[in-house]
Amino acid sequence: MAPPWLDVLDDTAQMCATSRRPDLVNRLRRRRAQLLDEKLRVVVIGESGQGKSQLVNALVNAPVCAVGEDSTTAVPAVVEHAETPTATVVTAGARAIEGPAARPAAPETVTGQANRDAVAVSGRPVVRAEIGLPRALLADGLALVDTPPKAAIETVDSADAVLMATDATSELSASEIQLLEQVLRLCPTVLVVLTKIDLVPGWRGVAQRNRIRLDQRGLMASLIPVSAALRLAAARTGDKQLNAESGFGELVKCLHRDLPGKADLLARRSVAALSTTTVEALQSSLHEEFAATQQPDSGDAMARWHAAGRRLEKLQRDASRWQTLLSDEVSDLISDAEFDLRDRTRQILTEVDEYFDTADPAKAWGEFEEWLRENLTSVAETNSEWLLDRFEWIARKIARQVAPHREDALPDSLPREVPGDAVGDLRMPRVERFSVGQKLFVGMRGSYSGLLMFGLATTIAGLPLINPISLGAGAAFGAKSVFEERGNRLKRRQHAAKNAAHRYVDDFFLRYGKHSKDTARQIHRALRDRLNAIADELRGEITETAKSYKQAIDDDTTRRTARANEIRRMMDELNALRRRAQSLADHPGRLPAQRRVPA
Amino acid sequence: MSLAARTRAVLHQALEVYQDSPRATSWLQRQLTRFDDPLRLAVVGPRGSGRSTLVVALAGEAGPGEMNWFRTPADDLVLMDTPAIDDDAARSAVEGICLDADAVVHLVRRPSEANLEFLHTLRDHPVARAAAVNALVVLSRADELGGGRVDAVLSARQVARRYRVAPEVAGLCQDVVPVAGLLAAAARTMTEAEFAVLRTLAAVPRAELEPRLLSTDRFAAEEFPASVAAVDRIKLLSRFGLFGVRLALTLIRRGADTPSALSDELLARSGLSELRARIDDYFLARRDVLKARSALIGLEVVLRMEPRPAAAPLAAELERLLAGAHDFRELRLVAALSTGRTVLPGELKAEALRLIGAAGTSRTDRLGSDPVLLAVRRWRDRAENRELSTRERQAAAVVVRSCEAMANGSV
Repeated sequence: MAPPWLDVLDDTAQMCATSRRPDLVNRLRRRRAQLLDEKLRVVVIGESGQGKSQLVNALVNAPVCAVGEDSTTAVPAVVEHAETPTATVVTAGARAIEGPAARPAAPETVTGQANRDAVAVSGRPVVRAEIGLPRALLADGLALVDTPPKAAIETVDSADAVLMATDATSELSASEIQLLEQVLRLCPTVLVVLTKIDLVPGWRGVAQRNRIRLDQRGLMASLIPVSAALRLAAARTGDKQLNAESGFGELVKCLHRDLPGKADLLARRSVAALSTTTVEALQSSLHEEFAATQQPDSGDAMARWHAAGRRLEKLQRDASRWQTLLSDEVSDLISDAEFDLRDRTRQILTEVDEYFDTADPAKAWGEFEEWLRENLTSVAETNSEWLLDRFEWIARKIARQVAPHREDALPDSLPREVPGDAVGDLRMPRVERFSVGQKLFVGMRGSYSGLLMFGLATTIAGLPLINPISLGAGAAFGAKSVFEERGNRLKRRQHAAKNAAHRYVDDFFLRYGKHSKDTARQIHRALRDRLNAIADELRGEITETAKSYKQAIDDDTTRRTARANEIRRMMDELNALRRRAQSLADHPGRLPAQRRVPA
Repeated sequence: MSLAARTRAVLHQALEVYQDSPRATSWLQRQLTRFDDPLRLAVVGPRGSGRSTLVVALAGEAGPGEMNWFRTPADDLVLMDTPAIDDDAARSAVEGICLDADAVVHLVRRPSEANLEFLHTLRDHPVARAAAVNALVVLSRADELGGGRVDAVLSARQVARRYRVAPEVAGLCQDVVPVAGLLAAAARTMTEAEFAVLRTLAAVPRAELEPRLLSTDRFAAEEFPASVAAVDRIKLLSRFGLFGVRLALTLIRRGADTPSALSDELLARSGLSELRARIDDYFLARRDVLKARSALIGLEVVLRMEPRPAAAPLAAELERLLAGAHDFRELRLVAALSTGRTVLPGELKAEALRLIGAAGTSRTDRLGSDPVLLAVRRWRDRAENRELSTRERQAAAVVVRSCEAMANGSV
């Protein structure tokens, strides 16, 4: 049956995969392989110059890790069990695609060589040094890892247990406490090793104060004072007493007797810590995402939707305004056009009056009729042209207001027909002709009175009634009458002609005026309909857009709510997982290393 | 006119300008008095770096406590032990030390955990930046760096050699010196009784004594092959440290069998002699320059805090002094050449050091019997030699300036 911690680990990995965190999944997968491995990795960490390498040397009783004055260790060194002493320097490929390569070396000098190669600029980058030694301590699958101070955290990530070295010349510093806190989150099995106790007379006080400090910070780690120098001296001389004084007995007991048998417990605690941190990482990112779902950030879509609504309102307000404007303009136009027409016809009539003051309609009528028709036609053309021009101008002006961005708001051309039938036929007024008989009659009538007047007068002088004088006077009077009569008739004819012309122009005015007004009204109606249609079109477009915005906003809200619910569900699952992980750590069966070592 | 004389003249001018301001006047008076005082050396460092111990080692007796200047009985130096400079140190205290001290010895336990914030603050001043010549870094627990072995200070010297050319400290201090502070202090103040105990211990055969020296516990154990009480041994341990006891016993066996001989040997091996030599070379020999530097910083403070139109010529003069002060550049070059930050070939280095006054600042010390104009020509050629590197040419240019100063008689 699979151990319970494996289920928790696999469930955590599953959650990471669901949350699309391949980095965490990979980390968990690596850790899983390591936990299932029989090997127990014990990582030695600590700040620079605290005696980490010397601690490893003293544990295996061989100078396998290079020791120096300051920051000697540059790459991790892994010490494992082997039948005969072996050593290799593991280098990474020059290119990322190449795998690690191993190079055999002598066990005594391998770390020194690896450290030198690691700081060298040329050559393949060194990953770690591996050393195999025939030691009973390592025989159960224990692997000791010496780390450079900078790589402490990343190495601890793959550790089953951690030894943290701190030297007795000073108490735990703030940065060491911080490192310890970080490490405890990654790997809960930590032993703090107080090194170099041979050098410091008051090491017991330092150990005591360090323990108190650890207790105060609530850090679950026990402290073991050791002296590597004494242990190595004891190994040289075989002095049991000295070995006991070195304090390594306690440390080796922890490592050798307690750790290997407790693989399951170690794994449980590691998994508990790992799952808890992973779950916390997932939860924090979920928290952020949840907070993001709670405040709608579709402000852009919302603003566009509101803007569309405002545009629609504006369009409706404008509709009544431009209709009023259009009818005002059109009525102005009609009255202007009428005035213009009247003005032009009046001028024509004045000319007609002047003309017929002198001209004889009987003779000049044909010429006059032609002139009048031409003039009226041109009046009609000009007036209607002007009317249409102004209409176009009005239409453009209003179209600009209604739909500023639409070039096709106006019809291409207005109906430009000039009313041809406005100018009708002009008949000549009936003028009686002054015939020869009438002339004769009028002459006779006039000559009669003259003949009689002068005949009677000359009879006084004894002349006969008809004499040359009276005949002469009669002829003169007759001629005068004929002339007068002719003049009267001309005047009458002229008057009749003027009257006829006036009536004719009036008729024209009436007919054309009616026609012009009709045209204006027609165009007005056409224009209004056209602009209304465009306004409707615009309104339709905006309504459509607003609808799509609203749809997008609604979709977004639905999506958010769904995501928020999903997150809530995941949070619940994560909390359950976290409880399970923590229950792993609370499992009875404490590690002896966790016990306080009597001072 | 030398830098010191010109600085004095500027201070007197400033007193005239500021005679109506009591605060400025008293401050400037203090700068003038300080000019004639011995050099003030502050020992600074973080908690547990051994400041008081080093003060004892330098003075030969215990000081009057923190933040008190006291004059060493032997020589022309005023020392001060300061409060611990940690991350939470009050800024005003740090600035006070910067203003008050002519020179600073900064203690560091080991290079990897060095907090150089203080040295940056020390330089964080316009005058100080132009003349960063008054700091030494001391690896104050050299015995621990070497794991308490008898040759620990030697290996600490290797560390110091690497550290002094590291870019993060090269511009901040004149040199890095390792000192086993505890041993140095003990050697400086060793009593007859202590020497007697050490001699008794040294008389014990090595084979018997050696296992007892493996750890402090063993050394302080009740039963012991020599007739020395455990109390005495514990006292000895607290004074010398295990490293000191081991070293002292080895030295006695090798023949240092008088208190003074042992003391001298211990001082040399603790690194204190080297520190003294550096303090002599870089600080005491250039007392006037460092005093002038402190006075200029004091003057700059007055000019900044109480600016007034009449002081404008003073500010200009201050700037001219700083820009033209060749003494600061000489001091930097002495340090750069001796620490190996700037490299000149063998005999050139020796000549350059002599000419810029590393062996003594008088004209005869510098030149010997050489004609000065020849030196000027020689070094000018080097300063313009395209085959040398930029740093070498810059160094040569400084030497040329020193030679010219001698040629026109201002040295």
